[in-house]
Amino acid sequence: MKGRWAAPLLATVLVGLTLAWSTGALGQFLANGPLPPAPVPPDNPQTDTKVRLGAQLYFDTRLSADNTISCATCHDPKTGWANHNPTDTGIRGQVGGRNSGTILDAAHMRVQFWDGRAASLEEQALGPIHNPIEMGETLENVVRKLNAIPGYKAQFNAVFGTDVNTDGIAKAIAAFERTVISGPAPYDRWLAGEKSAMTSAALRGMNLFNGKGRCSPCHGGPAFSDQGYHNIGVGMDRKNPDLGREVVSKDPRDRGRFKTPGLRNCALTHPYLHDGSEKTLADVIAYYDRGGIANPNLDPLMLPLNLTLREKADLVAFLEALTGTQPNITPPALPEAGAAQEGGSR
Amino acid sequence: MKTLRIAVLVTLATATLLALRPGPAGAVPVFARKYGLNCTNCHSGFPRLNDWGQRFRANGYRLPGRENEEKTVLESPPPFALRTSYGYTHERFENGAEGTNASGFRVHGLDVLSAGVIAPHVSYLMVYPPQLAGSRGVQEQEGTIEMVSVVFSGLGSPWLNVRAGRFEPAYAAFSVKRHLTVTPYEVYEYAFPGGSPFSETQEGLEVTGSGRGFAYAAGLVNGSATNRPDDGPSDAYARAAMVIGAGEGQTAGQRVGVTGYFGRARPEGGIDALQTYSRFGVDASLNLKQVNLAAQWLYGQDQKALWGSETADDVCWSGFFAELSWQPLVECVAFARYDMVEGPEAIGQDVTRLTGGGRYYFADNLALHLEYSRRTLDSAASDDPTEDLATARLDFGF
Repeated sequence: MKGRWAAPLLATVLVGLTLAWSTGALGQFLANGPLPPAPVPPDNPQTDTKVRLGAQLYFDTRLSADNTISCATCHDPKTGWANHNPTDTGIRGQVGGRNSGTILDAAHMRVQFWDGRAASLEEQALGPIHNPIEMGETLENVVRKLNAIPGYKAQFNAVFGTDVNTDGIAKAIAAFERTVISGPAPYDRWLAGEKSAMTSAALRGMNLFNGKGRCSPCHGGPAFSDQGYHNIGVGMDRKNPDLGREVVSKDPRDRGRFKTPGLRNCALTHPYLHDGSEKTLADVIAYYDRGGIANPNLDPLMLPLNLTLREKADLVAFLEALTGTQPNITPPALPEAGAAQEGGSR
Repeated sequence: MKTLRIAVLVTLATATLLALRPGPAGAVPVFARKYGLNCTNCHSGFPRLNDWGQRFRANGYRLPGRENEEKTVLESPPPFALRTSYGYTHERFENGAEGTNASGFRVHGLDVLSAGVIAPHVSYLMVYPPQLAGSRGVQEQEGTIEMVSVVFSGLGSPWLNVRAGRFEPAYAAFSVKRHLTVTPYEVYEYAFPGGSPFSETQEGLEVTGSGRGFAYAAGLVNGSATNRPDDGPSDAYARAAMVIGAGEGQTAGQRVGVTGYFGRARPEGGIDALQTYSRFGVDASLNLKQVNLAAQWLYGQDQKALWGSETADDVCWSGFFAELSWQPLVECVAFARYDMVEGPEAIGQDVTRLTGGGRYYFADNLALHLEYSRRTLDSAASDDPTEDLATARLDFGF
């Protein structure tokens, strides 16, 4: 009697589960869904005038000590709001140690910089200005310089009700950066039901991304980042490796850990990894396929992947399908220097 | 029964079609659903674990390095999964001039699995094959709890994990629950009359640990099925393994291991006293890109009473298997294996088995399994009987 019921019960359960699966009730957990609206902090609401002011500041080289470097120098809209150099060159030809992360969709990251030392876009915006290798200016001096430019002074008063100050600079640049958001990528269109939006190679790559490629455990979420820190071994075979997050946290367990970057628009932002050591997406995948560089703090999830050539190409195809439409932003006209500002910064 | 067969066929056909539809591969059983990952994160040719899956299992079903972010079963999707397979099997038994055939479509068992994290360092795993009465379309299955264990993991360090309950012991270097073939490893099956296969699940306690390319396991278990309940834990074992290169030796890295097992068992019939038996094994899992070679050699020495033997000495036997698998793409894996057991000299019963086949994955959780295997028993008492098995079945997990 039991046997007579067991098999029909099994069939019923399988039919039920199959139907549930097909309708999505128990289906794929789409961790990598479409981007929600970028979060805006309550103390820095978005306004058009603030965004316009922020755009001017973003593109203005006068924020640097020798008037040669702007935010856009290293985070150039023409190069995916990043830079194609492995590491960037600041004032007086000084070369930094890390690759410039993209500003595109940076508003979706909980923390900024590779080591997460900035808790917000506002905090990040000021960092490069007074970094001696990057823009090399003091915050006091940049405030003085901008207050000497009538156009800026007037705009700051209109937006913030005060003359130029560091808080306003940070808020305006951050407000602008929150508009640097990519539009739907082929992947998003595919999620929305446009089945032709992704190629068969990209679809295979997506399955690898969530499976054998083991990308999604760290690159999960709408921004394709777990917003965490991981030691994937990059540069750890060097004599003096970049210690990454440990420098900020002072925790030895963070040695060699860096923030998981988002992957949206990554096809535009080569080279890759925190030191820009991998030139192409294929190179990055080859690096992961090898399982990273062994070191005492290597993330335990870093293991060789044994990907085939086709699988590597499929993963690249999927990553390319994460390139969204680009924000239509052109460098704005900048306020002209006042009489006191002509001729130099200091 | 005919209606049932049609129902099952329609179900699996529907599942196949749905699996083939464009879209993300279905996230399947418990862990995949919990983490939103595909099966191939942890399996290289489901059900075989890859290195990532092995680390996950060794870490008490918690993602290594993410232990603080783990959700308990109460915070996760329902922690249940099913696994079954359905398909055509042809078997032929031949003994001299006599031969018999058995063939047909049938359901090859059903496993209900539940697993998850209970507390920060405590997790569990249960596998329950419900009772299925044998019929033409359904393979008979005894309704017993195959495994139920609680794992206390990371007790101070990765070097101390404790598993208690009924579990798959670590001394069998290659899991028979998660291997690629339908046919068993002969050397793991070989046992004195009434004795449990080496790979059988055991009740007891096991301590494991790993790090820096080294892993160990030691345990105390109840042992042979011929023992009485009041015999208590009668068997002890230890295993050590080393991995050279990145990986766990599953599909990456080169792993070698040694196992020692000492047990006491009551003979099936005959004298009513515990007799001793021991096993010593050496194993290796070698990987070159998509190719894996898994090999196990096992030596057994049993007190003669366990075999009902009247020889003066203990009964000794040995055997090995070597399995080569190649996974050219994530969707398919091919395998070939040779098993050989040289039985006790006084008793004979040498066994050889040759197996070949492959699996094609329509989706992560749905595989077409093709396998052919020939087993030959070299017995002094008969004309080397052979068993041939050919099967084509769909292996389904949800």
